[in-house]
This record gives sequence, C-alpha cells and structure tokens, in this order.
Amino acid sequence: MPLRSAPLPRMAGHLSFMRSQTKAIGDVRSGDLAVLGIPFEDTNAPHAGQSLAPRALRETSVYFGWHANPQFSHPVDIDARQDISTDGLHERLCDLGDIAPGSEDAIHAALKAAMRQISDNGACAIFLGGSDRMSETARSALPHCQTVQLGGTPADARDFHIAPLPNGTTTPVNRDTAAQRAAFSEWRDPSKPLFVRFDLSVFETSLSALCDRPRLGGCDLATVVQWLELLGRHEVSAIMLTGLNPNRPGMGVVKVGQRLMVTALLAFIYARLGFGIDFPRRQTSKEKVLT
Amino acid sequence: MTAAITTFLPPLAQPGYRLFDGPLLDAADVRPGQIGVVGMPSDWTHSSRLGTRFGPEALRKATTVLQSMRPQGVSFDPDTGQRSATASDWLVDCGDAVITPEDVDATTEAIAAMTEALSVGGAIPLALGGDHYNSFPACLGYSRGLAKRAPNARFGYIQIDGHLDFSDRLGAWGSHNHATNARRISELPNVDVSNMVWVGITGWVDSGELALIEEQGGRVFSAGDVHKLGTAEAIRQALEHAMKGCDELYLSIDIDAMDAGYLPGTGSIVHSGITPRQYYDLLDGLAEAPLGGLDIVEVSPPLDPSERTEFLAAEMLFRILRRFRTQPVTGAVTEQ
Repeated sequence: MPLRSAPLPRMAGHLSFMRSQTKAIGDVRSGDLAVLGIPFEDTNAPHAGQSLAPRALRETSVYFGWHANPQFSHPVDIDARQDISTDGLHERLCDLGDIAPGSEDAIHAALKAAMRQISDNGACAIFLGGSDRMSETARSALPHCQTVQLGGTPADARDFHIAPLPNGTTTPVNRDTAAQRAAFSEWRDPSKPLFVRFDLSVFETSLSALCDRPRLGGCDLATVVQWLELLGRHEVSAIMLTGLNPNRPGMGVVKVGQRLMVTALLAFIYARLGFGIDFPRRQTSKEKVLT
Repeated sequence: MTAAITTFLPPLAQPGYRLFDGPLLDAADVRPGQIGVVGMPSDWTHSSRLGTRFGPEALRKATTVLQSMRPQGVSFDPDTGQRSATASDWLVDCGDAVITPEDVDATTEAIAAMTEALSVGGAIPLALGGDHYNSFPACLGYSRGLAKRAPNARFGYIQIDGHLDFSDRLGAWGSHNHATNARRISELPNVDVSNMVWVGITGWVDSGELALIEEQGGRVFSAGDVHKLGTAEAIRQALEHAMKGCDELYLSIDIDAMDAGYLPGTGSIVHSGITPRQYYDLLDGLAEAPLGGLDIVEVSPPLDPSERTEFLAAEMLFRILRRFRTQPVTGAVTEQ
C-alpha cells in the first residue's frame, strides 16, 4: 500500500506521520514502527507551545514523503550516490494518533499502557512530545530498560548521555564521537530494552532556534544523524522526541527545529527498517530513468 | 484649507529601494557591461511555503543598507583591498517585470522580454526572485539575447542550490514551476546539459533526474562533495566543467543551498551543512567568471522574522558582483 496515492497537494487530507497508514494500537505488529503523539506541555515551561509539537513534527514529516510520490522514481542519497528502497515504510510505519486529553493521572496511565502494548507486540514506539516529563512515564513501562539521552538535562547517572545540558553535576561532554561510540558499545546490554530520549536541546542553539532550553556547544545535524543511525541498528523499544516548541514567540514560521528533528529521526527510522548504505537490494540510479 | 491639504504632498512613504541604491532606469538605458536588475516578484509557481514575491524588495533594501555601510568611493573591500565603485557606474535597476498571477506564459514572457533586452545590448541581466521557477524566464530572455548578439555563442550554466529542480513535471503544477526550472533551461538551444553543473545538492534526490543529468554529461556536486573537496576546489571544478566550449556563464543562485539553521527564510529549506562562509567562498570563486547573466531566488522575508535571510542573500550579491562594484585604488582614500 503506498503511503499516499495522489501526488499533490501534499498539505491536504488526513495528517499522519509521513502520510503513513493509520492503525489502532491493537493492530500493531511485530517489527512495526508505531508513531504516537503526546501533545502535552508543562505549565511551568518558559513559553507555551510544546503541546503543538506533535502536529508540527507530523506536518514537517509530510515534506519528506515525496519519495512515495508516483511521479518520482526511486530516491538517491546524493552524498552516497546510493539508491534507497522505501518499501518498508509502506508496510511497517504506522501512526496511532495522539494520547487523548484528560486528567493528568489518566494521561500518564494511557501513555504507560500504550508503551506496554506496543512493546508486548514487538514494535518500536516513536513518541512525538510534548513535555519531557512524559519520558519518565514511558520509560517506567519498560522494566530494567537502558536509556540513551540526546540533549536534555541528565537525570540518572546510569543513562548514556550524548551532549547533555550542563547541570553542574555531570562530567564534561567527550567530544570524540568515535570514543563515545566505543563507550556506548561497552555500556549497552542487549538483554535489556533500550529507550531513547531525543531532546531538541541536543542541537547547537544557533541551528535550532525553537528550543525552550537553549545551549551553546550542542551537536550539529551530522553528528545527531550519526548517533540515531547507530541507535537505529539496535532493538530500540521506544524513542521519544521532546523539547520542540514550534510556537516560540515570533518564530512560528521558521520551522527549523522540527525539520532538524524530523531529518534526524528519519536516520533512525531508516536504520530500523534496514535502509541505507548497506541495504542489500539497492539499485543503481540508472535503472530508474524517467522516460 | 482643503485645497492647501490636497496640494501639499509630504513624503509620507519611503521611495522604493533600488538594488545597491543604484539608479532606476529603463532597460534600454543600461550600457554594455553594466548589470541590469530585473525584479521578479512572483511566488505562485512554488508548491509549498510562499513569500518569495517579497524577495526583490527585500534584496533591494538589504543591499542598500549594506551599501550604506560601505561608502562608495572611499571604502575598501576587506578581502581584496579594492575600493567600492559608485553604483551608478556599474548597475541600473530596471524595476520589476509585470507578474500576471495564474498566467505562466504572460509572466514568463514579461520577465524574458526584460532580460532579453538587457542581454541583446551587451548588459548583464541580474534577476531577483521570486521562486526558482522565475529563473527559467530570466535565463530564457538571456538565451534569446545571446542568440541575437552572438548567434554561435554558447553558455555554461551553474546552479547553486539544495535541489536539482530537474523534474519534467510536478504534480498539479505541471511543467512550469519551481521544481522544473533547470529542466526547462536545459531545453534552450544554446546550452547543453554537459555544460550544466549543480552545486550544493543535499538529501534525497530523484534517481531518474540524477541519471538523466549525469548520462548527458552534467555534473552534480553535493553538499557533501563541497565539504570533502573544499569550496575553492569544488567551484573550480564546477566552473571548468560548465565553461568547456562555452563563451559565457549563466549563474542561478538559489539561497536554499545554505543550511536552514543559518537561513530559514526560504520556501524549501534544507540542512546541507553549508555555512554562510562556505556559500560566500563558492561565490568568490565565480566572481571573475565570464558572467553573461545571473539570478538570485527564493528569498522569502515573511518566513524569517529575524530578517537575517535577506542580509545573508544580499551579501551573496556583494560577493558575486565584486569585480563590478570595486575598482583598484588609484589615489588617496579618505576614511569617513
């Protein structure tokens, strides 16, 4: 089933992540990537608007759905000169919608139940937040899990931190990515579930512009993409996106933050689905010349 | 009393800006070798985020502001040590082409008529977009003018861009839109795809388009290639390839090749990693090229409330037009 059958207009119609199929949570199958929005924000956040992030991320993802457009032939990664097969997207990516609003207890309970069900079905959850506080709820549904945190404030010394926000208690970030990757391999225990927290604050603020927690010394996009590609090759139970405020005063039209996050998230999704440089059924670009 | 009010016309509004604060004249008044500016305030051939119809005015304002910081005749260009030339010596702003929304043929011919008139007379058309489709009519007019001025001449083509824009058609927008401009240019009689070069392409591109370009001898330098080769070497190779057997160069500057972290005010933003410094270095590498015509497109002021996009784009013009807007120092210079 194509992600969408009509080429354009791409801004109209039901909004799902990358125009993927929509599913009820009970229909999620093993190996699926199940997108779930968590449109809630902290009332003590410096600016209102984080709750609009799931919609902003979905809207931005639609720009990246062009490869499913029948007017184009297969996409090529221009840097690698490598064709990308996108069949897995049609079959395995699905959007479950958003957690319904309600009392705070009900929201946390619903998220926890959703995390458990997706995990029990053998799928990977992609949570579009929202408040970072919901990360703890999702994580609590994965007993004994290990957590990788990109950006954000370190909460647990046992977690693996990539470019965390300085909080006075953590050691300085190791800038040697190769050494960090080696440290990650050593840290990772494959017998435990893996939970990934992906906060917009991982990026250098001069790039993102839409983060409520600005910082100097964050990562560039290429570095974040490298990490998410690496994580995507592991059996991740859930990845949670947080920290985006698409409504930051005066910046609503810029959209750089959501595009950075979606671009990096795609690296994770493609790696989970087995796309990329090492994809065995790759084609050369000459096979798909339009006539 | 009423008569007094109606006969008194105070300057309530700022007069329109001209590019580099140059003179506003008719295309027929542009001298050979001068830059003739044509505004193309049209964005209805773009398929998503609009606002580039305000691009020409923003570029005129930004270049004027930046020009005012570099007093003409007395300031040095920091990189070359040359002094700024008076804008009226090298540039004429011919105003905007008549844009007819929803009539692509009329808009195309209106823009092309202005750039053709400039090119026939030996001037160098500089077209200000507008979305990138408008690059095609600008180049169309240049191509027609070149054919009249030098019937056997051929031109090479360099497009600095985040995207190939080489689709034959784009969904409901058909064959004439911001994704097809390079394809339409490739069909002009005095350019060959083997002399067409793209620089700064990023992300995923359509394999059919890429194959079509490369099978016909065109070259594509991705953003990654620019990082690996270095800007000077990438643009040197690009220029060499574009100018093989050609007499002049047409340059299309799509600002969206710059990483959106620096430059968000454009319709189709990309994360190329190309920094402002790298983009300027690319243009510095073309400053001495035999330019026959050029355009700069996709400046969308409404998409960047910080206004930094239009100033980044204005600086691109300062770079690419360096040999026009500066002169060797021949006498004493008084600092202001």
